Amino acid sequence: MEQVLFRHNKPGRPVTFAEYQAEGGFAALKKGLKELSPLEVQQAVIDSGLRGRGGAGFPTGKKWSFVPRDLPGPRYLICNCDEMEPGTYKDRVLLEANPYSLVEGMILAGYAIGCEHAFIFIRRGYETAAMNLRRAIGEAREAGFLGRNILGSGFSMELDLHVSAGRYICGEETALMNALEGKRANPRSKPPFPAVKGLWGRPTVVNNVETLANVPSIITNGPAWFKGLAGIPEAAGMKLFCISGHVRNTVCVELPLGMTLGEIIDGPCGGMLQGKKFKACIPGGASTPFFTAEHWGVPMDFDAVAKAGSRLGTGGIVVFPENTCMVAATLNLTTFFARESCGWCTPCREGLPYVREILTRIEAGGGETEDVEILREHVKYLNYAFCALAPGAMGPVEGLLRLFEDEIREHVVKKRCPFKN
Amino acid sequence: MVNLTIDDKQVTVPKDATIYDAAKAAGIRIPILCHDKKLHPFGGCRMCLVEVEQMKGRQIPACTTPVTEGMIVRTSTPDIIQARKMVLELLLLKHPIDCPVCDAAGDCDLQNLTYEYKVNANRFTDEKFQHKIDYENPLIERDMNRCIHCGKCARICDEIVSYGAYSFLNRGLEAKIGTEFDGPLNCEFCGSCVSVCPVGALLSRPFKFKARWWALSKTKTVCSYCGTGCQLTLGIKDGKVLTTIYDENQGFHNGQLCTRGRWGYQFVNSDKRLTTPLIRKNGKLVQASWEEALSAVKERLFSAKTAGGESAACLVTPRLTNEELFVLKKLFNVALGSQNIDHSAGYAHNALSAGALESLGYAASPSTIADIQKTNLLLVVKSDAYETHPVLGFEINLGVKRKGVDLRVVSDKRGKLSRLPDATTYVHKPGSEVLLFNAMARVIIGENLVDAGASSISGLAELKNSLQGYAPEKVAEACGMSADEIIVLARDYAKAEKALIMLPLGLGYPGHGKDLAQALINLALLTGKIGKEGCGVLIMGEKNNSQGAVDMGVYPAKGGKDAVAILDGCAAGTVKTLYVVGENPVVSYPNRKAVEAALDKVEFLIVQDLFLTETAEKAHVVLPACSFAEKDGTFTSVGKVIQRVNRAIAPVGLSRSDFEILNALYAACANTQPYADVAAVFAEISENVPAYKGISYAGLGENGVIWPAGGTPRFVPAEGGAVQGESGKYALLTGSALNHCGTLSRFGEGPMYVCPAGYAELSYTDASALKVKNDDLLTLKSASGEVRLKAKVSARMPQGVIFAPYHFGEESVNTLTTGAPVTWVNVSK
Ligand SMILES: Cc1cc2nc3c(=O)[nH]c(=O)nc-3n(C[C@H](O)[C@H](O)[C@H](O)COP(=O)(O)O)c2cc1C
Ligand code: SF4
Ligand code: SF4
Ligand code: SF4
Ligand code: SF4
Ligand code: FES
Repeated sequence: MEQVLFRHNKPGRPVTFAEYQAEGGFAALKKGLKELSPLEVQQAVIDSGLRGRGGAGFPTGKKWSFVPRDLPGPRYLICNCDEMEPGTYKDRVLLEANPYSLVEGMILAGYAIGCEHAFIFIRRGYETAAMNLRRAIGEAREAGFLGRNILGSGFSMELDLHVSAGRYICGEETALMNALEGKRANPRSKPPFPAVKGLWGRPTVVNNVETLANVPSIITNGPAWFKGLAGIPEAAGMKLFCISGHVRNTVCVELPLGMTLGEIIDGPCGGMLQGKKFKACIPGGASTPFFTAEHWGVPMDFDAVAKAGSRLGTGGIVVFPENTCMVAATLNLTTFFARESCGWCTPCREGLPYVREILTRIEAGGGETEDVEILREHVKYLNYAFCALAPGAMGPVEGLLRLFEDEIREHVVKKRCPFKN
Repeated sequence: MVNLTIDDKQVTVPKDATIYDAAKAAGIRIPILCHDKKLHPFGGCRMCLVEVEQMKGRQIPACTTPVTEGMIVRTSTPDIIQARKMVLELLLLKHPIDCPVCDAAGDCDLQNLTYEYKVNANRFTDEKFQHKIDYENPLIERDMNRCIHCGKCARICDEIVSYGAYSFLNRGLEAKIGTEFDGPLNCEFCGSCVSVCPVGALLSRPFKFKARWWALSKTKTVCSYCGTGCQLTLGIKDGKVLTTIYDENQGFHNGQLCTRGRWGYQFVNSDKRLTTPLIRKNGKLVQASWEEALSAVKERLFSAKTAGGESAACLVTPRLTNEELFVLKKLFNVALGSQNIDHSAGYAHNALSAGALESLGYAASPSTIADIQKTNLLLVVKSDAYETHPVLGFEINLGVKRKGVDLRVVSDKRGKLSRLPDATTYVHKPGSEVLLFNAMARVIIGENLVDAGASSISGLAELKNSLQGYAPEKVAEACGMSADEIIVLARDYAKAEKALIMLPLGLGYPGHGKDLAQALINLALLTGKIGKEGCGVLIMGEKNNSQGAVDMGVYPAKGGKDAVAILDGCAAGTVKTLYVVGENPVVSYPNRKAVEAALDKVEFLIVQDLFLTETAEKAHVVLPACSFAEKDGTFTSVGKVIQRVNRAIAPVGLSRSDFEILNALYAACANTQPYADVAAVFAEISENVPAYKGISYAGLGENGVIWPAGGTPRFVPAEGGAVQGESGKYALLTGSALNHCGTLSRFGEGPMYVCPAGYAELSYTDASALKVKNDDLLTLKSASGEVRLKAKVSARMPQGVIFAPYHFGEESVNTLTTGAPVTWVNVSK
């Protein structure tokens, strides 16, 4: 299968700068800076149909186009490598194998939006990835790909790596900017959106690692080629899927967008673990509603997954086998989100711990029939929180209520968890 | 402008308005918990959710969402109401709901909204928090169990007060408002956070368990401490002032107050108040009836009158109302025939009564408070402007942080203002201000930065001549600044499109007199920075009615004695009757020993005051007066604002208002009818004081009136010399402590909790040379006396300079001073 991001991967070690270049790396940079105008780079990304890989799937080129260009003063680009969503580890795998696509993609993105200083915000604990990136940034600078007047194009950009102090909320783009500014990592209200008023009040683009790492190949091979990589006509490009849970192979693989859930589990994952039957999965990271066996044939692409009632999210798939208590699984996820709520807004700060409380009660056999309704209210009203954390946290709960209401009621009626003897 | 529809109403609002603002403009109320019009939008509580049709009915917060053209907004669909109920239910989950013992009950947004939305408080149930309540400071109780995380306290302390005492700590449910290292609160204690807290999480401790909210009656009036003229609402029960009440719609300051205004009200019902007249009998002051006391006073005044009046003199505080000051002046000038009347030690009003009068043609600031936030460059003379007028300090903070005002602090020490973003502080040698500003004027002239209009102002040639000796290079050393710094400051000031100078006055600042004011006015006139918005000089009178006292002409006319001459006259025996109204010269006038000797010497001393002050203790007759809370009348504050003072309670004990006392004495001494009431006096004022012409007492309304200034300006050379240091000695600077104003705040428990006694502030370098640390006792010795003060070591003091606040009676710094801008002292442990 054609590999784009994983094309340069070497077994057991990261690709070197020389290898990456020898294999065509940084050709896109040269082409972009020398032959294309910033707007042409942006247009290529728009035409490619590339959508954000950080969870929301927002069209990348369109996001760049919101940056006002005629405003005097700096513009910023931030690569979001916080990756703290449970079940998601694709950015780590990518950067541990190859930091160069990201660096190259960032310079191109920076060129497109007229950014003079870019930052990579990396999760604390991603030490190998950080080490690779530090090396790659140094090498790129030495080669004249960063700094003043890059490749004689007149375009200058600095790139710095910032290690997060470590909180899930730091991955939310506006909280991330606060963290970068040295403030408490609270999200900011939108509007104004970062593209207009972001880091230090300046126009800023925040993109995910995988999103940016895709840019060089689009410039080299053209938008049509990129679009054509996908498995279905509605989708565009490849996607990193990282699968965990009760499958034979828990792997991170690069696959064409649009492969069905079943094809992914039966293919690269080698099917379910011996003796296990598929019950459900999280299709795109901890904040997405469950899929069940009925979704086996859903093409794994943004729109198709959304149509099926969930979100493609980050592409982090977590697979649950048949004897899984879905109340307990949801409780596990809710516990994470409740802990990681930043505390800024009422619905999330007070609502998530309460949902956790209710799920704990139900799981322990102390639930009441009314609890289902109360959970439903939370699913509805936590959507109106200050940032996307609370709505995300309600993803699995919404799925639980829609797909496994019987299981909840069984807990309530039996006054115990039916999956525990 | 943007057009939108809210609940079927068409609204047109400016394009930076939020949905909340637009709804408000349309008279539609949207409930809020975390929003405050003074603060940046927060969007955390989610109480203000509304639906916008264009967003497919999604609920979004009204307080953070900007309006867009054609928006169709609904503010109270059943779904929105349900969402708001949910917010309240969630907030009540952890809230203790201990309204029966909560002082906020009745004034609590959470309680009121819960009631309004008919929320069942126990559908959701969970364990409550067990946060420890912070009782560590005497003024603010912090009960984080009641906190609803609106963030207003942290935001106001950061955005407006610029102190930054609070921050959110922790995540999720554990998130809470914390202090530095989660320790006890230790801050400026302005109380702004208590004012804005929508629930009972932050409470005023002095008010704790004093009254239920609904049992309080409220009176709007004006703060009686500094010259800022903040509006106050007093909370009253059973004839006592029990608290100040926050009203976000009051005054230019939106109800914000400083420690003194917020907590200094306690002097009103202090048990130290004088409740009966006192007469000295056998060397001791004993209680007397009003008849007895007044007849003794009248007798003295009659005999002074018979002798031509010259033997009577008066020292009065500018805390009295305009009407009282007017009657007092008439009592002396008209009834007794004495011109010997003065206030504020004579020098604390000179900048206005002599400086501005001569240079501008009127004895007041050409500027108003509103100019602070409208200017481009703000030149503040002495960082102390924050301490003397804290709420004007908030205006400066807001100007710098919100409007990008370029702040230049010219000061003999650094201060809080120096820490504002991008503020530049020029630390100069003590007492060199006039030298410095004259040098700036010279640069402006030398570099042709003079405004074209200046040539038509008389005195320009003389000014130019007078500035010969003030080349920056020449004065740099004496100023302790480099010539370059002076030049750059002069250029920046001259080139700024709008620039405002702020000059605080006060008993603690003997150097801030006529010459300094004139040097500053010269700068403004030279550069065409007078008479335009955001420009000019704001001369900040120290006390609540400092400007009014000058307006009423309560300083000696030709032939009269000023404060110094009056005290000299007492000592020499030429002044035989001294009537002291509200002043406390023993503590606040320079040279305590000499003041005391003069007061001990004078034949007959009448003191009219709220308290048995150090001065009153020497009196032959003491007349108990009323506080501002017991009075009607007017005060005129910084920027010429005349405001109504309204009586909130009946006089304490047998005390009488200064108006009542003075009215009776005037009528008796002038052999005429007393004034019918305060309004009648105001009517006479508006006939006699040109600035007040056409202004009526009733017409002052809630926000007062700014009297219109007009006059012919001219350049008056200001004289400034280098202050000669004395070897081995320290330069002692006196001034105001943040929490005090004059000597009155000593009777307010709040200010006294925070700052109970005088201190000597010195640099780390000097402290280590003297081997002293905080709270060690230092002996300060000058040519005129010696005091012992606790050391306060701080980073803001330059080497060789010591600062001591002047408010305190014990170990009072006026023992050391004699009225010079700088006092040279020996310091030892
Ligand atoms: C609570 C929360 C956590 C997030 N964490 C991440 C993250 O770790 N990495 C990431 O790329 N995006 C994360 N996002 C999404 C970002 O806010 C943002 O949408 C994304 O970085 C944009 O990149 P993209 O357009 O390339 O997808 C998070 C969002 C939320 C609400
Ligand atoms: S939704 Fe949660 S994480 Fe987001 S702002 Fe509100 S409290 Fe913070
Ligand atoms: S009292 Fe004033 S300084 Fe202290 S925390 Fe409250 S707002 Fe800040
Ligand atoms: S203490 Fe009061 S003002 Fe501060 S966040 Fe809590 S509720 Fe709001
Ligand atoms: S003392 Fe001055 S600044 Fe403080 S509240 Fe009173 S008038 Fe305002
Ligand atoms: S008032 Fe709008 S979110 Fe709190």
